[in-house]
Amino acid sequence: MRGRSHTQKLRRRLKAYGSRGIFSFLIALGFILQGCGLVFDAVELVHPLTRDEMSVICSREQVRVGIAVEPFRPFVFPAVFTDEGVRVTGLDVELIREVADALTTYCGGQKPIVPTLHLTRFPDLFIEMNEGHLDLFVSSVGGNIPGARPVGLWFSIPYFHNGGIGAIIQNPEVAERVWEQFRKQAGKSDTLSAIQAGLSGLTVAAQKGRTSQLYAQANLKDIRLLICDSLPAAVETKDPRIDVILTNYSILDYVTKHVWPDWRLLTRNDGKPLILTQEHFSIVTAEEKRRLQWFLNNLLYRLEESGRLEQMRRRWLEETYAPTRRATTEGLPFEISKVPDHYDQGQCRVMGGQ
Amino acid sequence: MSQKERFRNSRVLWCISLSLACFFVCSGIGWAETPREEVEKTAQHLATLLNVGRLIIERNQSLINDPRKGDKEFTPEVFEQQVVDEFFGQTNIDLKHLSSHLPSLAKELLPVLLQSSKEVVADAQLVINQRGIGYKNFIPATFGSQAARKFSNRSHVKIKQTMLNPRNLKNTPDEYEENVLKRLATQPASNTSITEWVDNETTMRSMTPIYYSQDCLVCHGKPRGILDISGYPREGAQEGDLAGAISIQIPGTNR
Repeated sequence: MRGRSHTQKLRRRLKAYGSRGIFSFLIALGFILQGCGLVFDAVELVHPLTRDEMSVICSREQVRVGIAVEPFRPFVFPAVFTDEGVRVTGLDVELIREVADALTTYCGGQKPIVPTLHLTRFPDLFIEMNEGHLDLFVSSVGGNIPGARPVGLWFSIPYFHNGGIGAIIQNPEVAERVWEQFRKQAGKSDTLSAIQAGLSGLTVAAQKGRTSQLYAQANLKDIRLLICDSLPAAVETKDPRIDVILTNYSILDYVTKHVWPDWRLLTRNDGKPLILTQEHFSIVTAEEKRRLQWFLNNLLYRLEESGRLEQMRRRWLEETYAPTRRATTEGLPFEISKVPDHYDQGQCRVMGGQ
Repeated sequence: MSQKERFRNSRVLWCISLSLACFFVCSGIGWAETPREEVEKTAQHLATLLNVGRLIIERNQSLINDPRKGDKEFTPEVFEQQVVDEFFGQTNIDLKHLSSHLPSLAKELLPVLLQSSKEVVADAQLVINQRGIGYKNFIPATFGSQAARKFSNRSHVKIKQTMLNPRNLKNTPDEYEENVLKRLATQPASNTSITEWVDNETTMRSMTPIYYSQDCLVCHGKPRGILDISGYPREGAQEGDLAGAISIQIPGTNR
């Protein structure tokens, strides 16, 4: 009864004020709401309502790390079956363990931060990161090569900086052609000129999206460039016959010793390593994740300072070991995303217009 | 018929009825407590099934390790069919239509082990179907470890592959297993399991020996100490040497 009388009163008042009253009320409300944004900002400053990426990782107790399914031995070995299930291992995987351990400490050490590996094709890593499915990715990605940094992504300080782009060949005549160019330089070493002239007219393979493709496209104009989905695809291709394969020197050094002994490293005349350009590997994350970026840079700096990174590099690049055994004892499990059941290394295509 | 005869006949009928009732009641008690023979037979079937799974992996090893082929078409279903056929060949038991004559415990557990084995092959599909990569470490031993672990997590029965000097420390034998393995190592090769009741006759333990075949010697043969493809030192074994055993533990009162 009482409620009904109140409503009737309000109706009577509104009628009395008329449309003029309602208009004044809305203007007053507009002034009040204008201040709401300022109040919201002030509250955000004192007590952030949206959590930063580090807090999200801590509360999730997981760090989502992308890793390429294409093997980049010894940084990432092909997945193998172990007594514990399917595992992946390599220098990059050991680094991921270090990141996860450091995150565990950062998050208070009560519960371990588990690295959840998303195994996916290399070009998809960038898409997955942009779509917010990954916190970071570690996949022997060079951050210092022009064109290698897509917009919206951030590259850490290097965790591997002794390498660069190298080349492998099967036919000794290719080496002879390059050496001839070095000899012509008579001590005034100019690697780029020697490579440009030495490889002129040859069929050169580089991996799609990798820094070797960027290097070849930018610097080697007189070659027939083949773009391959993976390094194994380049090695397997018979038609057209590939004269030179470009990719990271350390990877080529490993695979010519352990996987494809039919191929050999292209060296300088004196047998020293021939590096076409320097390349540093970085951890990649999204541009806006400032706290995570500082965390990663500080961690990598500390690992370098303590000699741990050097120890990891020696362990994977210089020691004699069986990857399968290391996968069993220290490999990480992974989630398969966007990798078909019968993943294969793909194929090679001639680069248009060359 | 005289009254005396009628009385005698009714007594005979009453005795027969009582005997039948006793028989059914006793049988009921037997099912509840799981007779020893049932448990022992079940262990034997489980060991055979795990061994058959290992055998199928061994038979398909060159296909699995073929670097030129991507999709190997060695799917969980293909594996299952091969296991079912081989198991039938060895035991005359059809895993797809388990006979009512089988012990109820075996009828309960054989499908669980078959499903666990299938899941291991399903988990390994990405590894199996990688083109360009030869050795993938999907071998009878790693298959067996995973299948046994999956099965043991789903049932009250424990299955484990074990050997005296295991490559995987999780396969280290316990005291009982170590003693049996030592005994088996000194005996001539035999497919007969060693079955015993331990812990005051409350637990059945069974050990089924596994012997090295010619294929195993690529990794486990001579020269001793040289690293094999997976990075472990070779054992220097010969064909027919004891490789290890499938160890099974079943508690006597399981329900």
